[in-house]
Amino acid sequence: MRMAIQSIGISGGFGQGVDSLQRALVAGEVEPQTGEVERNGTVDSFPCYRAAIDGLDEFFPKRALRRIDHYSKMTLYGASLALKEAGLLEADRSRMGVIIATGYGALKTTFDFLDSYLDFGYSCSSPTHFSNSVHNAAAAHVSMQFKATAPSLTVTQFEMSVASALLTARHWLAEGRVDQVLFGATDEYCDVLRYCRKRFFCDGEQGPMAPFNFERQSAVVGEGAAFFILTRDEQQASYGYIDAVTLGNHVASPLELPADDFVIAGADGHRDCGQWYAETIGSLPASAYSPLYGSFPAAAGFDLAVAALTLKEGCYFTVPDNAGSTTTPEEAPAKISCLKFGPGGDYGLIRLSR
Amino acid sequence: MNQPVAITGLGCLCGAGMNLAECMESMFRGVRKPRPPFRFSTDHPVSYPVLELRDEFKLPLDDQEKVYARTSQLALAAALEALADAGWDEASLRGKKVGVCIGTTVGCALNCDDFYRAYKEGDDPEMDVIERFLRSNPASVIARQLKLDGPNQTVVNACSSGTDAIGLGASWIHSGACDIVIAGGADELSRVTYAGFSSLMITDTEPCKPFDVNRKGLNLGEGAGIMVLESDAIRGDRKAWGFVRGYGSACDAYHLTAPRPDGAGLKQAMGEAFAAAGLTPEQIAFVNAHGTGTPDNDKVESGVLAEMLPGVPFLSTKGYTGHTLGAAGGIEAVFTVESLRRGKLPANIGYADADPEIKGTPVTENTEIDGEYALSESLAFGGNNAVLILGKGDD
Repeated sequence: MRMAIQSIGISGGFGQGVDSLQRALVAGEVEPQTGEVERNGTVDSFPCYRAAIDGLDEFFPKRALRRIDHYSKMTLYGASLALKEAGLLEADRSRMGVIIATGYGALKTTFDFLDSYLDFGYSCSSPTHFSNSVHNAAAAHVSMQFKATAPSLTVTQFEMSVASALLTARHWLAEGRVDQVLFGATDEYCDVLRYCRKRFFCDGEQGPMAPFNFERQSAVVGEGAAFFILTRDEQQASYGYIDAVTLGNHVASPLELPADDFVIAGADGHRDCGQWYAETIGSLPASAYSPLYGSFPAAAGFDLAVAALTLKEGCYFTVPDNAGSTTTPEEAPAKISCLKFGPGGDYGLIRLSR
Repeated sequence: MNQPVAITGLGCLCGAGMNLAECMESMFRGVRKPRPPFRFSTDHPVSYPVLELRDEFKLPLDDQEKVYARTSQLALAAALEALADAGWDEASLRGKKVGVCIGTTVGCALNCDDFYRAYKEGDDPEMDVIERFLRSNPASVIARQLKLDGPNQTVVNACSSGTDAIGLGASWIHSGACDIVIAGGADELSRVTYAGFSSLMITDTEPCKPFDVNRKGLNLGEGAGIMVLESDAIRGDRKAWGFVRGYGSACDAYHLTAPRPDGAGLKQAMGEAFAAAGLTPEQIAFVNAHGTGTPDNDKVESGVLAEMLPGVPFLSTKGYTGHTLGAAGGIEAVFTVESLRRGKLPANIGYADADPEIKGTPVTENTEIDGEYALSESLAFGGNNAVLILGKGDD
């Protein structure tokens, strides 16, 4: 069974909504923001792609968002945009499943909870931070706010989260458990993440991102939420179809990419994944769009949004500056493979068609 | 109606025992040993009893503590027990479509409070803890250690994660995505969850008392419960210990931490599981309930059981294991299959006095059962409800 992509809701470093993503794709570049972390009297400045959630007020009164953290707000915003585009904001959602893929979950709130007892003692641990730090808190907020009473699932598998979670979306639709899946990919930035990335990559996080330069660490941290309404109903395929989802390990069983697909590589400037892309893509037509939204595990959902938009528009978007030596075929895209590798050779391959 | 999925191997370790046989024996002997945590300390004025593993366990790994986080070690230990029980080893799995679907909560949370404390204090903490975290996704660890090439999924649906993982794993067999799935749940006891649950004021200062009128809350625990699921084609005429007959899940969409008072989500999940199994409530021999010992959970859950499964015996095994969070559904599904196989249920330890608000009475002593099917259910933060209907295996 193939899944029809009915709508997209997205928020990332390029802006809010599919139109913003499309403008970024046409422009071929997004200027990163400048993040700052102050520690020990010095300010660490670095490029980053942060997601704004200003538009959330359109969907919810401020009161309803009290005690909801940035991670869940980002998630709610992406979900709201996807539902709005599909015209489902007022629909009965009792047969709509919710699936969220995330690499790290609610990072900031996880550390806020630790703050509560490290600063004030264990008897002052914050119940609000604790309950919102649980990985499925964002999915719970989505289900609560939208009265979605069908199955709800949160999956975390680092870089493989999106492909793995899509596998379940496909099963749910094929088995008739749900009529639609509100599928989202979300990750957030936090200052501790900056510390970790700086320690791991030294100055390799200063950009500019060059995802096809597999020898250089050029990742720039990002965050955001990308949502999709997925359905069995082929009449609703505004953005084409997800035909197949495959997960495996390239080391255990070498991956051969379909010869007739355009490849959207999840390459995001991480040198330790570079060799896998180099080995599998070879001379196939390929591009990478991570310089538009940055590097984070759930960015595979953003690659999927780019693929869906490419199929809808029937044309290739400008290869982002600094993407390296990539090629696009002359004819309109009919099939696209979104490929994401993890450092150990784990891969997720999502095939889409018009 | 779904085809039954064969369960060919079972593995479990938790506060009740270091393997499945030990767990069952200690439960039938009515033994439980909650005590203050000994793997970590806090300055909390109250010491809440927990159920930690009684002994250390050794995996076939060099330096296992440094390589993987404890949750993944637990998952791997239970997976190896289950695979051995099913007659599989690493070599014989090679070339087969083997998936791994594991539920957890702590296992995927960046709960590194020593690292974070140093960071907050302006130090530059070393990255070994973070590197270990990045290596320790539980499903990936099992796949990596066994050199598997199928789909992996780590489910983080809070306390229903293990139940969901088994249901989703069965679906991979149904669809033909996998020949074999290693499915279940794993979670370690952590200072972070200890602090979190005490902040919610749903932990008991004494051994927990599921469904009792004097219940005050849960005791945390740790462990893993894993089963091996196989397609008929792969199993051939090998014996099955049990079958996954049906799975259902639904969301309350009501509250982040409290169950919906009318139990609508749990009823919906049960209804889906019964439809998938092609069975009726009258065919259920017993229910392994979520039964945390918190006032809200036990009240709502017993109300649903009374309405949907009137007169069917039920029990909570959390008095023996503690609440093992993401592992709970895996451990309890394993216990359910094993209880069906043995034709006997352990007593719902901790229950003494009836609560007028609780409809029905859990089994209060070891009880012989005669039936083909049983139900194992989990309720979770986020309003998740997940239900498995499990069938008795080959005689």
